[in-house]
Amino acid sequence: MKYHLITLGCQMNLSDSERVSSVLESMGYMHTEHEEEANLLGMLACSVRQKPIDKVYNKIAQWNRWKNNRNLVTFVSGCILPADKEKFLKSFDLIFQMSELAQLPEMIREYGVVTPAGLKTPQPVMPKNEHISEMWHIKPKYQSTYEAFVPIQNGCDKFCTFCAVPYTRGREVSRPSGEIVEEVRQLVCQGYKSITLLGQNVNSYGLDKNGREINFTELLRQIGEYGKISGEEFWVYFTSPHPQDMNREVIEVIAAYDCLARQIHLPMQSGDEHVLIKMNRRHSMDKYRRIVADIRELIPQATLFTDIIVGFSGEGEAEFQNTLAAMNEFRFNMAYIAMYSPRPGAASFRWENEVAPDDKKDRLHRSSEVLKIHSREYNETLVGKTMRVLINGTDRKTGFSSGLTEGKLIVRLDRRDDSLMGKIVDVKITSAADFSLSGKEAPLNLQASSPTLLHRRREQGNEDSEHFILNRILHVKK
Amino acid sequence: MMSLIKHEIKIDESFYKVEEIRQLTRETFSLILPKARFAFKAGQHISLGIYGDYQSREYSIYSGIKDDHLEVLVKEVNNGYFTPKLRKLKVGDLVEIHGPFGNFGMEPKATETGKFVFIASGTGIAPFRSIARTYPEIDYALIHGVRYTTEAYDRNEYPGDRYILCSSRDTKGTYHGRLTGYLKNCTFAAETQFYLCGNSDMIFDALEILKEMGFERDQIHCEVYF
Repeated sequence: MKYHLITLGCQMNLSDSERVSSVLESMGYMHTEHEEEANLLGMLACSVRQKPIDKVYNKIAQWNRWKNNRNLVTFVSGCILPADKEKFLKSFDLIFQMSELAQLPEMIREYGVVTPAGLKTPQPVMPKNEHISEMWHIKPKYQSTYEAFVPIQNGCDKFCTFCAVPYTRGREVSRPSGEIVEEVRQLVCQGYKSITLLGQNVNSYGLDKNGREINFTELLRQIGEYGKISGEEFWVYFTSPHPQDMNREVIEVIAAYDCLARQIHLPMQSGDEHVLIKMNRRHSMDKYRRIVADIRELIPQATLFTDIIVGFSGEGEAEFQNTLAAMNEFRFNMAYIAMYSPRPGAASFRWENEVAPDDKKDRLHRSSEVLKIHSREYNETLVGKTMRVLINGTDRKTGFSSGLTEGKLIVRLDRRDDSLMGKIVDVKITSAADFSLSGKEAPLNLQASSPTLLHRRREQGNEDSEHFILNRILHVKK
Repeated sequence: MMSLIKHEIKIDESFYKVEEIRQLTRETFSLILPKARFAFKAGQHISLGIYGDYQSREYSIYSGIKDDHLEVLVKEVNNGYFTPKLRKLKVGDLVEIHGPFGNFGMEPKATETGKFVFIASGTGIAPFRSIARTYPEIDYALIHGVRYTTEAYDRNEYPGDRYILCSSRDTKGTYHGRLTGYLKNCTFAAETQFYLCGNSDMIFDALEILKEMGFERDQIHCEVYF
């Protein structure tokens, strides 16, 4: 019996899909890339924009047509607005929230499907409507052998006016810290190199527990402490923080531990005070400015990524100019710039969006040009340096590999060697482009050396990396 | 021997029965619900849904933290989706409440020494009533902008010298005109903390006026109604 799963949207859905796969495979289902040969078809929906929701409707219409000739069971989960949920109930056989994932085998069995695992081992009937924590207990089937996403929180309490997540995923619920640290530990033991802590507002982690759980800073510290004693080289990221709850302590902890990656994704959304208020972002530009100042002071090597929405309701040319000014001030390495589109279920969906599509396109283009300048200028400062790069794929150019630095800058390596996949190697940067770097394997290859020697080799550090490594070796030998 | 199975009945604590509806003007009313089953800071908001309906909206809490009832202030929006449904609620109907949310709430510590100016338009007065009922002893001034003085919701609850009513369409308030007009002629102590709540246009204008007066952005807290 085979299943096919379509995952739309963000890393949160990707992480959820790894757990859905795990549950289905424990039932005896095998994954197939071809939906035509699957008996069980599922989707993890995304409600961020209308387009992915349209895709769900199109897909289920197609699958329901197939039902005329085949025995099929369909399900949907993920981020679903209440209004869509009502409609999906009529189209899909099963619909569940992630908090009910542990009950999925029972739901499928109740639907009359006998699976190989179901024949062998009757599964206990789980109580319904249990907490999201049951979902977190399910061991995911990671899609990569070197990169993993670890959910630390589900839901959102921020109510940004452009976003429907509080209505699709519900309130913020933090996962127990012990489970998170244990999952990170197991991943590191299995050789994972890039681990991303996932949540809608990671830095409000623990606050929903009213003192019965550690906060985000302490969670990072515990992971950092584990990294210290593990002796392994790995990079821990987190996304997304909300500037409202971001504080200096978080940045101090990142500065204190090698395994906490020097890359911060800090969504700005707009550089204009009024637009921020209209977005209900609940922080001022001064607050954002202070966070960036702390990052530059405490972890100057860190790359800075952001999210920006152009053409939001109330954004005129003057407001957009403030966003450009902020981009020039903060000099982001990367910005995910989106033209505003009203999202069903979000508060702003009920407003008139007076910004013309052509103006949005124009602002997208102009802000992208500004981003390009800053990204390239930063990249050019890296030429000649040796950087640690996690090889994560083959480049489109034959004979080349691709990878990411600790700061998540894309690097093209002039060698293709499948054995390097998922490994962190030294790359000497030879040239810079707008959004990527090129390099060759560094002559001093210390991949087999003690990882402790390799730590603290940060991009744009004060020392040349090779020189730094040699100093560290001499120091160790003493 | 038959075993006795005791089924646990879980009561969903997020449902509240409407106990009373106070009509304040033709369009504005307050829903009076049982005492909050959660702790909140005066000034925070909740998400309010109607039992059986899939939509919800956010409302500032209108009651104080120690009040025997949880209360929300609602103004019906013509042709709106949600508020006309709230308007149709009757005593005994169920609403669903989640929360509390937000950072607009006032910390008890902050109330001890500070000077506060609360600036509200329309039903944006809700969080300030919660604060004033919770901390009646604090040093505050409440500047309330409305169209007509009939919209001065529960004005008798505030000491007369603390409540300034700016009405733009009649002359029965403390000041005839928009609250921003009043604000421009005010002087405030340098350490004043400002709390703004209401529609975004009022907040933008008040924010600029206060910044021009030399107040830091950190002294100005905003809660936009949308």
